[in-house]
Amino acid sequence: MVENNDGGVSRRTMMHGLGGLAAVSMSGMTERQAEAALAAGVSTDPHTRDTYRAVVDAILPRTPGLGDEHVPGGLEVELEKFLIWDFNHFQEIRLETLAETADPTVGQLSADQLEVGFAPAAADSALDALLDVDGITEDAIENTVDELDGFLDDPLGVGGDGIDVDDLRERLDFGAVDRFDVSIADSLEEGSSGPATFDVVVETADGDTRTAMRNYPYGAVFPIAFDIVATEFILLGKNEDAVERGNEEFPGGGTFVQLSREDRLRCLWSIVDGGAIDRLDELLSTLIADVGILKFVVMAVNGLHGFGYYTEWAGYQETTMEMPNDRRLNVPPGEVQSREQTGYPGPQPGYAADWRHAIPGGFDDPEADDLDLPDDLTGDDVIDDPGGESR
Amino acid sequence: MRDPDVVVIGAGGDGPACASRLARAHGLDVLVLEGGAWHGNEKWPEPHADSGGTISTDPDDLDGKLLDEQFTVREADANDPTWGYLRVGPADHSRAPWFRNVPQNLFLWQVSAVGGTTAHYFGNHPRAYPYAIDEQPHWPIDYEDLVPYYQLNEAVTRTQQAPMTNKEEVFIAGAERAGYDRIDTLNVTETGWRPQPNAIEAPPADLDAKYDGSFSYDDGFRGDSLAADHFQGGPTPEDAPVREKARKSSNVSWVPRALDTNADPELGTVAIRPNAYVTDIATDEGAGGLEATGVEFRDTWSGNTATVEADVVVLAAGCIESPRLWLNSGLPDDGWVGKGLTTHWFDWIVGTYPDDAIEEINGEANMDPFVGQNSAVRFDKPGVGGMEDIGMTPGLVSFGNYLFSRAGYSFDAEVDPDEPWDSRGYVVGKELKRRMANYRNTKALLILTDDLPRRNNGVSLDDTFADEHGAVPEIRWEPHPDDDAKRDELARIAARIHREAGAEHVHRCDWPPLLLHMQSSMAMGKVVDENAQAYNVDRLFVADHSALANGVGGPNPTNSGQALALRTADRIGALYF
Repeated sequence: MVENNDGGVSRRTMMHGLGGLAAVSMSGMTERQAEAALAAGVSTDPHTRDTYRAVVDAILPRTPGLGDEHVPGGLEVELEKFLIWDFNHFQEIRLETLAETADPTVGQLSADQLEVGFAPAAADSALDALLDVDGITEDAIENTVDELDGFLDDPLGVGGDGIDVDDLRERLDFGAVDRFDVSIADSLEEGSSGPATFDVVVETADGDTRTAMRNYPYGAVFPIAFDIVATEFILLGKNEDAVERGNEEFPGGGTFVQLSREDRLRCLWSIVDGGAIDRLDELLSTLIADVGILKFVVMAVNGLHGFGYYTEWAGYQETTMEMPNDRRLNVPPGEVQSREQTGYPGPQPGYAADWRHAIPGGFDDPEADDLDLPDDLTGDDVIDDPGGESR
Repeated sequence: MRDPDVVVIGAGGDGPACASRLARAHGLDVLVLEGGAWHGNEKWPEPHADSGGTISTDPDDLDGKLLDEQFTVREADANDPTWGYLRVGPADHSRAPWFRNVPQNLFLWQVSAVGGTTAHYFGNHPRAYPYAIDEQPHWPIDYEDLVPYYQLNEAVTRTQQAPMTNKEEVFIAGAERAGYDRIDTLNVTETGWRPQPNAIEAPPADLDAKYDGSFSYDDGFRGDSLAADHFQGGPTPEDAPVREKARKSSNVSWVPRALDTNADPELGTVAIRPNAYVTDIATDEGAGGLEATGVEFRDTWSGNTATVEADVVVLAAGCIESPRLWLNSGLPDDGWVGKGLTTHWFDWIVGTYPDDAIEEINGEANMDPFVGQNSAVRFDKPGVGGMEDIGMTPGLVSFGNYLFSRAGYSFDAEVDPDEPWDSRGYVVGKELKRRMANYRNTKALLILTDDLPRRNNGVSLDDTFADEHGAVPEIRWEPHPDDDAKRDELARIAARIHREAGAEHVHRCDWPPLLLHMQSSMAMGKVVDENAQAYNVDRLFVADHSALANGVGGPNPTNSGQALALRTADRIGALYF
């Protein structure tokens, strides 16, 4: 057996290691920029931040009228950071599992399935820009648009008026994003191994956000997908409330944040229950290697509000975006905003409370040889012919 | 340990029970390899920040105060699926969790650690319904065969009846008003309610509302302290040695007992190595066909790999990783490896109570869900499934009660006027905050449906993603209409119990699949024989919940998984040593 003589390399050592710096410098960052990007941890671009803020605001809004302690909502504790952190630390991609190009015969993932690059501001429309992603030739774009046209003609598969690709072009909006670029910074030469480092560059009118990170940057990619789904949602007329272009509350967001609170959630639900990812597979698969995961993501987008807001997470304050070992709880877990709203006192070593045993003398439990079990269940306990096995 | 007789893959709920029995009853030397961390062991003082030691064989390595430091019982710190200390992933917390491809609205909840998913269970130890083993056409063994092993497991885990506190009294009042009787036996063949048989030491007799003493073991406190912290790791009573923690997850019960064998020259030995992820099962062409000869594993900190030879290999990596490892090892698959996964098709029925309803039952307007055990009273209906009364901390409550559904958002989800609930689906916005403001008078009933194994539910190798351990698992689970019907029936009973107890509002979440109780993905009768030995590979056994032949009827599966693992240890001893 191999003895583990690992010296205990810390995260910071790895982050500042030559590999990391070399990696980010390949993306055009200067060494100084790269140092800053790595030292800052995960930074967030305005589109990503405002898209998640719009979700947080829909699920945990400010609520005047329930009592003073209930007024502040999820945005007051910057809960969007919780969602972004979790999605950005959700999947490590290993270099040894990547090929230069995909080999469907062995199911191998290729680097270009994970890389995304497009520039809404530089093309005729956001749709054209999105289709102009790395690894897709012009012919492929033509084909994709043709297929898209045919597909969207009958979006629900029941005939009737479809969506015109021009409508999609006109409506699709990625908010503040002028250029969006996800690339793998590491060498993919044969024999390379270890976690891949991803460069994420988001250019906006107000400046660039550059991040180098050791997991797939789902945090920034999912909001792009939400804008696409929201576009279809609006074009199908599924929104029940008016659409507000240029939502001042979430200025960095795109089509998604233009929806009302409830419509944002209806839009997300169309991914799970409305078949949106089947209809939009052509578009979404340029962004996400396995589009099916978006159903899981919608589950997580909702559920993470429980793991974030209603726990002690907000008490980590300025360390909420740090790695788990570096977080410091600065507010007692019973005193964060949400705990003031639920009355939970936080963990205690025990409680003085009355209790009793329900069965005097304890459970009846004969030896196996003395068991006298009935031969069959009777009455309403029996479900006739339960289906199940071997199906 | 260079040449173990048996290598056990996984130190979760079941592997340590099997290992202990192999060493104790059969004199065998056993190496247990665990992919996750080991909490509360002084060889790994910072298990998520530093690689620590290599292997532990000494029960004196276990340190209860260290466990207290590591299991902070803070909710996000413990349960966040990405960064909590109770997650599925490498011990190194600077890395992401292990990825599983889940292409549906489904939540998969497991823990990789010594103790496995029992590191965050409620400690419930009911037995299978005899019906589920004897009268459903799955099992090649009889219920009576398991009873002695249940009794052994219940003795080691000190399984007993759970204490009734205020929230349980409300449930009991509702169940009795709805016409259900108390069940006094562990071998359940009829419908009724009963206290949970659970692997948690009873609270001390002098603990009551007037108690003003310390909850520290060092000050003499023993047993359960009524702090509902079990899903965060449950290290109470504070300061207690690991083996004296009230809740007997397998790192508290079976692991110390397994390590104790090393001090007795009459017994075999047990060594446990965490941070060791098994990537391959080695085989050879033996006299009667393929036979297992050992394993290859990878140290999750250093990346170094090593091989171990053994006379017998035991798979105890759980319902997801056991089939994944089998398939990644290229072992023969005749169609049932990873299939037939059962999960107790859960649902969650929430009651919100006015003060006076609770006061009428308890004499005080108090049903605090954070006081008492997480789940101390249950309802059983063999042939259909069961139900549990649940109290938890607010992060878990908000997720379970309101933020996990397959019915869409409650503002759009229609409620059938003939059904006994007032609302269904996700609850968000002002209504979510209003409901959570009433957290202290809210409780949920967990439905545990007896779902039956189906071949198209389960685990396969994903064709897109791989990690350093091979192709990742892809998981799919959909209910059968029969299972939906059983779940609906239990949901209606739950709503009636809430109503009878005085709930003013009943909400049905209509959960999507929550894979927490997982069983039968390497089922006895399908993948393994009546000895739990693989049909297609000699000397390879399965000793975890995946070897259960179905979902044991709906009761929590830990007692059954451990009992079967103990029986399998005896079968290994009889067949090969």
